[in-house]
Amino acid sequence: MKKCADYLQELSDYLDGQLDPQLCAEIEKHVGECTNCKLMFDSLKMTVKLCRESGQCEELPAEFAQRLNQAVKDHWIRKFGKA
Amino acid sequence: MDERKLITQAQAGDFTAFQSLVEPHQKRLFALAKRMTGNEQDAQDIVQDTLLKAIDKLETFRAESSFGTWLYSIVLNAGRLHIVHQKRQNMTPIEDLLDGATHQHDSHHLREWRDPHSVMEASEIRRFISEAVDELPAEYSVPFVLRYEDELSIKEIADLLKLSEAATKSRVLRARLFLREKLDSILKIEDSSEKVR
Ligand SMILES: [Zn+2]
Repeated sequence: MKKCADYLQELSDYLDGQLDPQLCAEIEKHVGECTNCKLMFDSLKMTVKLCRESGQCEELPAEFAQRLNQAVKDHWIRKFGKA
Repeated sequence: MDERKLITQAQAGDFTAFQSLVEPHQKRLFALAKRMTGNEQDAQDIVQDTLLKAIDKLETFRAESSFGTWLYSIVLNAGRLHIVHQKRQNMTPIEDLLDGATHQHDSHHLREWRDPHSVMEASEIRRFISEAVDELPAEYSVPFVLRYEDELSIKEIADLLKLSEAATKSRVLRARLFLREKLDSILKIEDSSEKVR
């Protein structure tokens, strides 16, 4: 018989919508019956939700953005002769 | 404008088209490079090298992947040399995370979570998560952020990192479990009955 730990990777795939329908049904059944897996399932889902919400990243430092722009432009001109 | 058109124009020497292609990805490329190197200066060098290399190899770009994914592949290659070998975190063995009920000690008992927004401000949550992700070794955090912040598929990440899909999935899961544990420390609802004991 499958142990709860065996469901972990499947739980994760299920949350990502990467599981085939038959396994989905099995997971749903187990999660419906097992408090531990239900809690794990809910908290993994929340973890990803929070990470997605927090995913925006900072702007490039202004000084670097400027230097980068110039370097890119110079390189472009070396290759194409104009920018 | 659609990406393919911009690529054709850039390949013909249109600098503005190239800028439009690159601009939306710069921040993410920089964040990824920082994650790999753990260092702002190296990350800047990598991003610059990446864009120059993208110019050099522009003709070789084929629309099999998106332009963004192509840029990621260049960053990841450049970053590979810089990857810092962070100390491995003490991570709870996967087997211990579930089957909590069978444990003698109850340290891994799962508990219900409070609404995170009732505990912390959105900005605090953001800081907490980004610090937690920073604690992960790059071999776990890079696949994780590619998956959930950059929304790449497991297959795309596996190709980029030259890993099998199974290995990619397991690293993403590992990172996810690690972050879950971190969040658990602030979000779990304490079981009052156990405190009495
Ligand atoms: Zn279970």
